[in-house]
Amino acid sequence: MKYTKKLAAALAMSVSFASMAAADGHATLEGKTVGVAVVGTQHFWDREAFNGAVSTVEELGGTVVPVDGGRDNQVHADNHDILLNQGVDAVISILGDGAVEPKFEALKAAGIPVFTVDHQSPHAVNNTTSDNYYMGTTIGRYMADAIGGEGKVAVFNAFEGALRICGIRAGLWKYVLEDYPGIEIIQPELAEEFANAPEDARQKALDLLTQYPEGTLDAIHVGCWDQPAIGIVQALEEAGRTDVLVTALDGGPDTLEIMAEDGSPFVANVAQQPNLIGSTAAQNVAAHFAGETLLPQTFVDVFPVNGQAEAKAAYEALGYGTLD
Amino acid sequence: MAVALLQMHDIIKSFPGVLALNKAALSVQPGEIHGLVGENGAGKSTIIKVLAGVYKADGGTVTIDGEALQDVTPRSVHEAGIRFIHQELHLVQHFTVTESVFMGQELSGIGGLSRRDMKAKAESFFKDALGTELSGDLLIRDLGIAERKLVQIARALIDGAAKLVVFDEPTAPLSSGETEKLFAAITNLKARGIAMIYVSHYLAEITDICDRVTVLRNGKTVSVFEEVLPDSTDAMITAMVGREIEALFPDVSHCASADLLQVQNLHHQAFSNVSFDVQAGEIVGIAGLIGSGREEVVDVLYGLKKASEGAVKFNGKSQAFNAPKDAVAAGMVLVPRDRRHDGLVLDMSVSDNVNLASLDDISTGLIERRKMGLAKAGAVAEQLDIRPRDPSAKARNLSGGNQQKVVLGRWLTRGAKLFILDEPTVGVDVGAKVEIYALVEKLAADGAGVLVSSSDPGELVGLCDRILVMLRGEIITEISTDGLGVDHLVALTTGGQAA
Amino acid sequence: MTQSLTIRRILDALPITVFVLLFLYLSLNSANFLSFPTLELILKQAVPTVLVSLGLATVIVAGGDDVVSGGIDLSIPATAIICAAIVADQVTNHQSPLIWGLVLAFGAAGIIGAVNAGLVVWVRMTPLLATLATSVAIVGVTKVITESRRIGVTDPTIVFIRDGSIAGIAAGVVLTTIVALAYWHLVHRTKWGMNLQATGGSRDAAEISGIPTNRFVVQSFLLAAFAGWIACSFVLARGSGSSPGSEENLLLEMVLATFLGAAFSPRRVVTVWGAVLGAVLVSALSVGFISIGVNVFWTGCIKGVLILLVVASAAAGREQ
Repeated sequence: MKYTKKLAAALAMSVSFASMAAADGHATLEGKTVGVAVVGTQHFWDREAFNGAVSTVEELGGTVVPVDGGRDNQVHADNHDILLNQGVDAVISILGDGAVEPKFEALKAAGIPVFTVDHQSPHAVNNTTSDNYYMGTTIGRYMADAIGGEGKVAVFNAFEGALRICGIRAGLWKYVLEDYPGIEIIQPELAEEFANAPEDARQKALDLLTQYPEGTLDAIHVGCWDQPAIGIVQALEEAGRTDVLVTALDGGPDTLEIMAEDGSPFVANVAQQPNLIGSTAAQNVAAHFAGETLLPQTFVDVFPVNGQAEAKAAYEALGYGTLD
Repeated sequence: MAVALLQMHDIIKSFPGVLALNKAALSVQPGEIHGLVGENGAGKSTIIKVLAGVYKADGGTVTIDGEALQDVTPRSVHEAGIRFIHQELHLVQHFTVTESVFMGQELSGIGGLSRRDMKAKAESFFKDALGTELSGDLLIRDLGIAERKLVQIARALIDGAAKLVVFDEPTAPLSSGETEKLFAAITNLKARGIAMIYVSHYLAEITDICDRVTVLRNGKTVSVFEEVLPDSTDAMITAMVGREIEALFPDVSHCASADLLQVQNLHHQAFSNVSFDVQAGEIVGIAGLIGSGREEVVDVLYGLKKASEGAVKFNGKSQAFNAPKDAVAAGMVLVPRDRRHDGLVLDMSVSDNVNLASLDDISTGLIERRKMGLAKAGAVAEQLDIRPRDPSAKARNLSGGNQQKVVLGRWLTRGAKLFILDEPTVGVDVGAKVEIYALVEKLAADGAGVLVSSSDPGELVGLCDRILVMLRGEIITEISTDGLGVDHLVALTTGGQAA
Repeated sequence: MTQSLTIRRILDALPITVFVLLFLYLSLNSANFLSFPTLELILKQAVPTVLVSLGLATVIVAGGDDVVSGGIDLSIPATAIICAAIVADQVTNHQSPLIWGLVLAFGAAGIIGAVNAGLVVWVRMTPLLATLATSVAIVGVTKVITESRRIGVTDPTIVFIRDGSIAGIAAGVVLTTIVALAYWHLVHRTKWGMNLQATGGSRDAAEISGIPTNRFVVQSFLLAAFAGWIACSFVLARGSGSSPGSEENLLLEMVLATFLGAAFSPRRVVTVWGAVLGAVLVSALSVGFISIGVNVFWTGCIKGVLILLVVASAAAGREQ
């Protein structure tokens, strides 16, 4: 099946799933106050997930108390205390690291259900997320194919230990690579910064390229997201290197644009639907209040993007506009 | 006579090129107030600093209570019961009176400071020892200058171990009403048997409160007055001045014409009711001690400070300069007293400094024409005999006299109408002085007005056509320099003789 | 004269007026802003800022409150973060006991304090530049230690600081109060503290009074680093571990809190209790803004403007 068609069909399915829940009648947030906590809104993914959650809560008749951690995980965690103090009926918590766990526990103890986005927690009712298993294995296969099944690979992997979703994505990527004995992951792994990712990654990639001259490095992979990839591509251009390929995850519009350029070193990605993820989390809150039993995780479809043509198609299909 | 409390004998102290003290002597009896007078540079502050252990004397002895002090250090002097009330107050603005009095000597017990104890001690000290009521809780910044001075005195004396207190120009920043307050405190201290050395330019104060007076001149003790009478001032001035005025000054009298500057009823925090005028082609002097308001008058004229009242007419037009650039634009220029800070950019070349005020003339649009600037500076250096003659030499490396010529040269290139010279020859050697005086005379002869503010009475008498004498913020008289003696001018500025 | 006095009074009153207005607005617009749980929340969230502000207040008291040439230490938040990273690394990655991590962190804080003091007192750098430089260096070293990764901590002592309570009040708040009282006593109620204040009030006056001013400046930087070290346990408790990049927000709040404290002090000078009050007010503002749903960027902007206000008012006060 042609990629575009496949994508369009899948998209239609996920959209109908969303509208189905809304049309259900009993799924309403009328009279409910829902806190929506997001770690930051600078990055596309975070902002879209946040917007999706906020707008759906409002569409369902609920009141939103939005809080934004300004890309500081500690501030994000503290914000949950404020939501607790405000006496909201439910909390949707988007991303965040381990610092939020005790806060979830406190919310749960106070009888306030917590719904997470891209953050698995024993204290949450449900976690809405992309199919991270599929993302991890797919990007592993695509990258291995792109470099011909052998070579040296560097990985930006700051969050594998800190965030479960990153553990899955990076872990499965490595799991796939186990079957390619010719591929070597350069040690130590690189760690990107959270707050200022593109610039930070640019610097680190430049250092890396100096350390591994022409012909000794085949790909740079970003283990859990795509923002650092922007800086990595910049670094490759600056260093005039065409021998190194880039792969990453998330597939936001900025990285799809880079992939869509002619001769782009950025060859593989897996696109998520952050707005739909946020929106689905809000639907889940409504479903919970309607007495439905939710599964611990809700998976939202992802779209593998392999090469320039698919990047253009995905960009259009996801509603970001057209690229030509 | 009893054993002297303090005896300083044959004190010698030299600095590179200067013999500041040449066998000076000073002797203070228990319980007396001993005046110490002399012109600027006579060695008053040097001998005080030797006593304080700040300077180490090259020779001589210091004896306290009949015992020679082997090692004169700030600590040993303090332990001997000598305290210094410096001219600067050295107080912390946001401290309370109590905190300031006990600064560095706080009382504390178990659990921290004994605040109540300190407050009680401070307040009773003000009452008993200084004869005034002052709450320990007031903030220094809310006090008048006289009260701050009392706090400073209390800090020096609160430990009760003081035998001799040295006052260095204590009344300089005070108005006459405030001076009364200080004198009351001093009288009170005397009654408690504390001896004092009183250093002052104000001879009237010296005759008012001192029991004996030592006069220094050129680093030597030239006279000790065993008895001080109200009319002793004349004799003191003669002893202080005691020299012929050198033939430094060209003998030119100017025919003044046209009102250049008219100042009417100018008021400011530091002075009041100041009126005078300067004609084109005339050199007018302003005499007065530090704190007389002399410096502030200059600052107000030049737009560095603002007058609260009054009118200034310059070159026929009413003017109130808000900033120096307005004054410069109108043709009034200043050679500032602190040339190293205000007059020169020390790390720039002579050429750049000369051209600083007239960049417009040597630049077209945004481009500065360096060659033209250098040539112009070269001409000025030639004219004023600035050495080294190299216009690209750094100003920092020039001698004081040559630096001053650079500052003057800057304004020469502008063709100004009125030159205000503030302390034009401080730190300038005699040779350069003569050249600067000749230049000033030439400026006047060429039709410019000159206003000279100076603390050197000889300079004013020699250079100026007439002199405005300021005392405590007012012009007390205006005198012609025809037949004027330096001693007479000193008497006027020190309040030693009524105008 | 009278005109400039009026201007000064207005400037003096401006920060307080703005704060009072903001608080009125917050309490009117957020239903439970003035309630006990909110108060406790405000205090709990103020804890790290209070602790680093204690250090900054001490340095400013010793160095004078001129923003450019006076005392300032911008490296305290970075010190707290690096100490937290060292402790987390030891406890979680090396399975060392907490106390060993704290000892190592203490040594690091001591080195930082000594370097700051050395740069300011002996190399004669302005404190602003010196501590900015050390701060940048410390952040770099922190990244090396943590490899820019989060390190979680589950040590029971840290958990107690986070969740425990003493006499019904949050443990973090109680412990911080004790530390704050200790700093207050030291700086404002001892002979040492008076001499420290004299050093900052007028270096000349202090020297004339026989106070060894350099020694006091050095000690103030050591005390500031010490405050950073103390803060690290609370930073760890707050984040249940060390997260990279937390020093920026802390720095902003510390500077705001400390200078705000000066605006509230009767003598208009930086004091320890003023800094504590300032930190609590800043925390109250943050909580208040979030409660009424103000965008985080606007909150940052408002805080920036407030810093300008209090610093400008302090500078204008000195002009007079």
